[in-house]
Amino acid sequence: MAKKKLTTVAKAPKVKLSPRDAKTAERLTGLADRVVSAANNRKDPYVEIPSRTLANVHYSPRKKIIEMGNATNRRQLFDLSQAKAYMRTMLVTSGCKKLIDQGKSTSLRGLFYMLKHTIEGVKENTFDEQGECDTIIEDVEVLLSSIREELHLYAENRGAMVGAITFTDKGDEINCAKMGSGGYAIPSIVEPEVVVFDKAKCKAKFILHVEKGTVWQRFNEDRFWEKHNCILTHGSGQPPRGVRRMLHRLHNELELPLYCVLDNDPWGYYIYSVIKQGSINLAFESQRMAIPEAKYLGLRSIDFERCQLSDSVKISLNDTDRKRAKQVAQYPWFEKKPKWQTEIKKMLSNDFKLEVESLISKDISYVTEEYVPTRLREQDWLD
Amino acid sequence: MATRKPIKKRSVPATATKKKAPPAASAAKRKAAPKVAEVSPEESPGADEAAAEDDSAGDEAAATAKSTGRRATAQSMASKQRDISVSEFFAKNRHLLGFDNPRKALLTTIKEAVDNSLDACEEAGILPEIWVHIEQTSTDRYKIGVQDNGPGIVKKQIPLIFGKLLYGSKFHRLRQSRGQQGIGISAAGMYGVQTTGKPVKIISRISPKKPAHYYEIQIDTKRNEPKILNGAGEGVDIAYGEKGAKDIEKHGIEWVDQPHGTRVTIELEAKYIRGRGSVDEYLHQTAIANPHITLHYTDPEGNVREYQRAADKLPPEPKEILPHPYGVELGRLAAMLAEAEGMSITQFLSTKFSRVSPAVAKKICTTAKVSPRAMTRKLGRPEAEALYHAIQATKIAPPATDCICPIGEELLLKGLYQVVPGEFYAAATRPPSVYRGNPFQIEVALAYGGAAATQNVDKDLLEDLIEETDARTIRQFLVSTFNGLGTDAADRIMKAASLGTRQAPKQLKPKERQRLLDAMQNVNVAEGQTMEVMRYANRVPLQFQQAACAITQTITSTNWRSYGLSQSRGGMPKGPVYIMVHIASVWVPFTSESKEAIASYPEIQKEIRLGLQAVGRKLGMYVRKRMRVKQQGDRRDIFMRYLKEVASAVSEVNGVDRDGLYNQLLTVAKRVTADADMKLDDRGRKIKEPSEETDFGENVLIVDPKTHAAAIKRGPAAVAVAEGE
Ligand SMILES: Nc1ncnc2c1ncn2[C@@H]1O[C@H](COP(=O)(O)OP(=O)(O)OP(=O)(O)O)[C@@H](O)[C@H]1O
Ligand SMILES: [Mg+2]
Repeated sequence: MAKKKLTTVAKAPKVKLSPRDAKTAERLTGLADRVVSAANNRKDPYVEIPSRTLANVHYSPRKKIIEMGNATNRRQLFDLSQAKAYMRTMLVTSGCKKLIDQGKSTSLRGLFYMLKHTIEGVKENTFDEQGECDTIIEDVEVLLSSIREELHLYAENRGAMVGAITFTDKGDEINCAKMGSGGYAIPSIVEPEVVVFDKAKCKAKFILHVEKGTVWQRFNEDRFWEKHNCILTHGSGQPPRGVRRMLHRLHNELELPLYCVLDNDPWGYYIYSVIKQGSINLAFESQRMAIPEAKYLGLRSIDFERCQLSDSVKISLNDTDRKRAKQVAQYPWFEKKPKWQTEIKKMLSNDFKLEVESLISKDISYVTEEYVPTRLREQDWLD
Repeated sequence: MATRKPIKKRSVPATATKKKAPPAASAAKRKAAPKVAEVSPEESPGADEAAAEDDSAGDEAAATAKSTGRRATAQSMASKQRDISVSEFFAKNRHLLGFDNPRKALLTTIKEAVDNSLDACEEAGILPEIWVHIEQTSTDRYKIGVQDNGPGIVKKQIPLIFGKLLYGSKFHRLRQSRGQQGIGISAAGMYGVQTTGKPVKIISRISPKKPAHYYEIQIDTKRNEPKILNGAGEGVDIAYGEKGAKDIEKHGIEWVDQPHGTRVTIELEAKYIRGRGSVDEYLHQTAIANPHITLHYTDPEGNVREYQRAADKLPPEPKEILPHPYGVELGRLAAMLAEAEGMSITQFLSTKFSRVSPAVAKKICTTAKVSPRAMTRKLGRPEAEALYHAIQATKIAPPATDCICPIGEELLLKGLYQVVPGEFYAAATRPPSVYRGNPFQIEVALAYGGAAATQNVDKDLLEDLIEETDARTIRQFLVSTFNGLGTDAADRIMKAASLGTRQAPKQLKPKERQRLLDAMQNVNVAEGQTMEVMRYANRVPLQFQQAACAITQTITSTNWRSYGLSQSRGGMPKGPVYIMVHIASVWVPFTSESKEAIASYPEIQKEIRLGLQAVGRKLGMYVRKRMRVKQQGDRRDIFMRYLKEVASAVSEVNGVDRDGLYNQLLTVAKRVTADADMKLDDRGRKIKEPSEETDFGENVLIVDPKTHAAAIKRGPAAVAVAEGE
């Protein structure tokens, strides 16, 4: 494998590059050129990677999103602890360049296999695990300020949507009202080159995002989106970038408010926080993903009493939950919100969590017919 | 001339003393002993060092108690009270002379003979060549033969030397030498006769013009006198040529034909065991500290081990000196006074001691309130005591120290290099110093990193070594082939190779040989190894009582961590290190009569510490540098690994020439890890070539362990140490 790679020489791009691709390719080439000039000058080649740590993110109260700071980490070829990472950075660079040149895109897994091989002369692989490749990809994204889609990489599709909207995906018309029981699988790349909205073809008035596919299915089966004229999405837990980007575009371009129905546990709060403010890891993408106006509809800590649930649905908190809840309470965007503080405190004093599915104990369609409609009607949510 | 020895001899005439006994203490002990001791501490076969160190002089007492039985009258007791001859006493108290168990008896016998040979050669100005042969004659009997190329011994002296205790030439002088007492070899002979009934056999030749002379001698213990068994009390001359050779064979002895020299053959009850405190260890260590000797050693298994001399010059002749007043104890001063006849006290002080001018002598007398003109004979105990205290209170110049002959840094390095494998050697000879009026000098030498010889063996060499060896087991093969490899490490190698302890090296199948080779390369034999300490007094190795010795104590109280070795508090440092410490003195202060450990005088400890620090600092520099060079090498390896990948990736992105870029990056890598190419001297400065010759002049030696001849012993258990390396 190594042999084959070593003998390939950069080929002229086969396809005509879009202006966006041309720009990304130029950035990638820039990275390679810097290695050459460093070597010419007998210098140690390096890259400055914006640091993706908690210390280098801050919450902008004005924009209400998490933003990345200016701190960078220098990654040098001639540093014992960084040499391998440096090599991997260059491998990812060349892999992405190849994808762009060929006008193809691949999954993260695909890139991993593209780049994984045994290093010549030693019993060592360039990559051993997907995770090793993923972090380097994120590094290259921040390094070039190019998002993953621009690097022609996509993640596995996770998340689905149905609702009163029609749009095109790679030229194909998608009518989300006619998606059967499975719904439209939200692709990982939903940029305007792929997904094109038409305001006129959107009847929906809001988006209801639920945490998991199982809950989403309940809502879809009950044709909730039809009755309430909305778009129904889920993100299989923490929503992947495609889902977040889709929500962001729907919210901003079609001006649809977003309501979230998540589990009443620290993880649910965290998912909400990521949707709303962005994540630490992807802080550089908050601009194009975070939806500060997103609302938290439920479940709430008070729901056990409010909905008169039975004891059997309680799931007691463990130590990690308690720790996590306290951390969430300290997030800058929750810190100054008394309602959120009460919410989290209440959960801690309950000492149990509630899943959305627990509402089924009342009635199979309690959540779609009673719980969510009531909250919406009463405008009872957390912000 | 008066020295401390004659006094001692006179002060306890009948019982004499064990070697080098502080007179008062040992005499008292011995007198008290018969009343309390009941059991014989000797003769327990296999009794080890602990027994050897036991000092209860007991069996005479036991014998007396048994024979008396009922209560006796003064008269009946008087009938039994009589003189005890020196030989009789030692015959019963042989442990006092190092014959406490069969194992130690063997060592002591060899040691006495070899020490004598070396002393004789050196005194005669001959570069010593020694032959040692140990043969097993029955289960618990061995015959030892030690020959030298020394001056030989004149015919009429031979019986006295080998058949009479307390007969010698070194007793009456204060001079750096190995033997002192005049007991050594005759005691060994006596032990042999006692345990086997076989006489001591001596061949000696004093000139190429005269034939060698042959004696068979037994010591008459009752009278402490030699009994000559052959040639009607005259011994016999050995004929020249064939006939002589036949005669020699007939007598059951050997003789390497030499123009002059002496061979002593003793058969004794003994036990041959390798390892600590063994004859092998003694000879090995003797070779290290005496690089001017050549030694041929044939062990009971027939293995021949050769130690070739590394130096072609004899050490300078030690000077005899007068005692320094500070070193004289009260008892001895009194005895010297009594002995010095017809002398005024001023005369006495200024002629019998070093560094005492008449003016100083007067000053001492004034302080002691003794008339300077008083005759020594007239002085009583109180005056002697006053003089003793006055001496301590008077400022007297320290003794001349040129009477000490150290081994010297260069020879220490050579000696150590030849027999101890290593990659780094350092030596330090401290300037002479003085404790209690006795001049002494400390030397320290160190060898580091030699344990990994097993890792430098390739397949072909291993095949050769297995072919050459006559070892019966793999463990034996490993231990005897690789210098410095202990049985522990050998066992670990065998375990890693999953080979049985009993397997014979020659019977190994190809697959097993490969496993053995792999294990040799992979097992870190230096792991868990602690520093090996070799202690010497006047070039004689000290093999027992390690813990009680000032040398050991100073080593463990030195902080070796700052020199790059690991060490638990107050413990022996760990690592592949050999250290030798030599104290040379006209009077070596032993902790006890057994002559096995150095007493902890602060002056001596201080000098030892300074010596250890001198070599330690250099070791530290070397270890740290080596570590850095190794790290840099590792670093470079890591960079190298990724450079091709980086070059290919970059070339794929921007089309730059891959190989050109790779070469450029390689240049950068070499610059960044430049240290890995660097050879450094002891001060960490860059040097062109680590040539061992160039470093010999200094006191550091750096060698490539792969090419170290001493690391691997070739041939049928023989060491073919390249000469003069
Ligand atoms: N191999 C020899 N060649 C020449 N002379 C010898 C030899 N062996 C012994 N002698 C002489 O015999 C003397 C007695 O030797 P012996 O070993 O009994 O006592 P020592 O060496 O003087 O003292 P120590 O008892 O401490 O060994 C020596 O002093 C030496 O003069
Ligand atoms: Mg002797």
